[in-house]
Amino acid sequence: MRRGLVLAFDTATPIAASALVRDGEVLGERASRAASVLADADDLLRGAGLAPADLDALVVGTGPGSFTGIRIGLAAARGLALALGIPAAGVSTLAALAAASPGGLPVIDAQRREVFTLVDGEPVARSPAELDFEPGTILIGDGAVRYRPELEAAGAEIPPDRDVVHVPRARFHVLLAGDFGDADLVEPIYVRAPDAEKAIA
Amino acid sequence: MRLILGLETSCDETAAALVTHDGDIRSNVVASQAVLHARFGGVVPEVASRRHLELVAPVIREALAEARASLDDVELVAVTRGPGLIGALLVGLSAAKALAWGRGLPLAAVDHLHGHVASLYLEPAPLEPPFLCLLATGGHTLLLDVRARSGYRSVGTTIDDAAGEAFDKGARLLGLGYPGGAALDRLAADGDPEAFDFPVARLDGLDFSFSGVKTALLYAVRALDAGELERRRADLAASYQRAIVRALVERTRAAAEQLGHERIAVVGGVAANSELRASLAEAVLAPLELCTDNAAMIASAARYLTPVAPPGFLELDAYAAA
Ligand SMILES: [Zn+2]
Repeated sequence: MRRGLVLAFDTATPIAASALVRDGEVLGERASRAASVLADADDLLRGAGLAPADLDALVVGTGPGSFTGIRIGLAAARGLALALGIPAAGVSTLAALAAASPGGLPVIDAQRREVFTLVDGEPVARSPAELDFEPGTILIGDGAVRYRPELEAAGAEIPPDRDVVHVPRARFHVLLAGDFGDADLVEPIYVRAPDAEKAIA
Repeated sequence: MRLILGLETSCDETAAALVTHDGDIRSNVVASQAVLHARFGGVVPEVASRRHLELVAPVIREALAEARASLDDVELVAVTRGPGLIGALLVGLSAAKALAWGRGLPLAAVDHLHGHVASLYLEPAPLEPPFLCLLATGGHTLLLDVRARSGYRSVGTTIDDAAGEAFDKGARLLGLGYPGGAALDRLAADGDPEAFDFPVARLDGLDFSFSGVKTALLYAVRALDAGELERRRADLAASYQRAIVRALVERTRAAAEQLGHERIAVVGGVAANSELRASLAEAVLAPLELCTDNAAMIASAARYLTPVAPPGFLELDAYAAA
């Protein structure tokens, strides 16, 4: 975790998260859509009587999730890092979800009857039926909510649909952020190749 | 220096440019993805969007370096908002918003087609409206009534394929790969443009249709055996090119006459076509490097728009269709 004023946001999932953190203290958090994440950031800064130029570092969610959503966040981080000459760090959306619920397995809706989850710490896309977990494991994320009946039948514990643990919260991105550096080196986690690549592979 | 930073990511070129308020181009960086898409035989939106994300910050840095400028010299950010591939547009728009917001700069959201027209307003030979503009690219074929630099009115369009698309598809039928417009132009130079008669549909009004001529080429190719096809490829290319160019030229002149325009201009990638340049000799043409997608034209268009101050532009969305 980095000291100073840190803006974090994650636009990989349908509910985009942002947070403003100063020296580890959360000054504010927002949840909205990817397209509004910079407007949220502007709100957070104004609420604290601050401006973009006051930022010391950025943390951005790298997915997996919606391809377009991931890019909206990463393009914003690259533009902002360039504008302010500040470093950035990437944190996977799955890791941020898991951090909010220790021992929980993050499960993000990946569309096409699949979910994104972690297997041995690596992000993968799997059908819900293929998920491998001990009975009693807590599953969190919009994928866990979407496939609740079959996952619960397999022994998963899933908090109520409206529980905040199902949505990434950017305070956890700040908590997990390790290597700060050039924003261009923060890579998206797509997991899946473009369909066209598969078609000619 | 007081500069406009332009950013363009609507299709398969990632581009950044620095332009002065007087229309002087200080830098114009275009990272083309054509090679990346060649193996797919066309632009793949997801592949293009991924590449835009990789290139967006590097092209901005390169544009600044080439202009020997820093972000302190930039006082307006201009970005393409649409039309184009939505996922590709969003990369540029998101980066531009963040950059402008971070620097406390205003943002001008530019219509890509207005950008093509505004390529004519750049130094060293800026064009003053009124004029009739043929905008012909891989995605659009439009006849535009231009009365002021701040906009245009569309008076004709294609009802199916764009002219550039017709060239690319014809090139593919002739085994020239993708994108093949330029290769078709080169091959046509060795052929007889009267060898084959490829009819172009004549629509009422000022609209175009190029799907029929493409089908005619397909049938002509199928009617020839392999050896004969090889021998007559140049004739096919020349005749096909002649048919498309003739339709473009006729309609463009008719539109100019109807609207009382004394001057005709041509913008867009198809303006690079040698036969079009020769056939419409009276037309004003944008320099070749400004014909294809670039960011100098986006920065140029921004000079005639009212920019939005921060944070008003943060909720702006991209649009895919004109
Ligand atoms: Zn274009």
